[in-house]
Amino acid sequence: MGDCHYLEGNVRAERRVAYVKGLLDKIGLGSDRLEMHFISSAMGREFAQLTTGMTERMREFGPSPLRERKTSS
Amino acid sequence: MIIGEQKPLEEIKNLVAEYERILVLGCGTCVTVCFAGGEKEVGILASSLRMATRIDGQEKVIDEATVQRQCEWEFLDAVKAEVESHDLVLSMACGIGVQAIVERFPDARAAPAVNTTFLGLPEEHGLWTERCAACGNCLLDLTAGICPIARCAKSLLNGPCGGSQQGKCEIDPEVPCAWQLIYDRLKAQGRLDRLLEITPARDWSTSRHGGPRRLLREDLRIE
Repeated sequence: MGDCHYLEGNVRAERRVAYVKGLLDKIGLGSDRLEMHFISSAMGREFAQLTTGMTERMREFGPSPLRERKTSS
Repeated sequence: MIIGEQKPLEEIKNLVAEYERILVLGCGTCVTVCFAGGEKEVGILASSLRMATRIDGQEKVIDEATVQRQCEWEFLDAVKAEVESHDLVLSMACGIGVQAIVERFPDARAAPAVNTTFLGLPEEHGLWTERCAACGNCLLDLTAGICPIARCAKSLLNGPCGGSQQGKCEIDPEVPCAWQLIYDRLKAQGRLDRLLEITPARDWSTSRHGGPRRLLREDLRIE
């Protein structure tokens, strides 16, 4: 943390992501649909693992509630 | 500046529940600077409400606008058509803005999306603190520029009280004792003798104790 090309930018970003996650919960979309991970551009394998994992989790969540309502109406 | 804080989304959802066409109206002055109700916050709240109400199965029209100042007629007049074409104006201004809307547009319904919290300043990024109680009779010349009305929990004129502990107020260890601040500044300026003067009980009728206040300047009137 803090070891960022943009200096303490990732620390600030983490606080803002936490805020948005809270907002997503209040909206009803669910904070689990947003994730933040710290990886550098040299960590290709970790990046692939994280995105694959998140894709699988998103499949389990199913379509966005907003999309479901649009389809059903 | 006037400091405000957005109400919880759940409370705002209840405020708009019975309306179908909602105008989220921001203010480009104080609440923009304190990130409570400017154009950006209008966008975030309007988007949040669109999603939240849709998930709840409600179909609402939620539009956005921001004026430079909600507390002046000429700026409000710029959104007259928008106000009149919506069932509810969800104001993100301070309480003055909400009241200005219904005074200017008597048929409009308005609701506050922001709690007006106090008159203060940003001490640092993300932290605002109170500085002025708008008491109508400024005595900052007597107190080294630190307001005991707004910043002392008891609004003491001759402090500190016994609740001052290590420079903090007994109500909260995060709150500085205003009279400690006054003492420290007077000492740094070599003016501690000022504390030997007793400030007499003041006339509070200029504050809220005298009822709603009014300021009239004949020199500025045009009629």
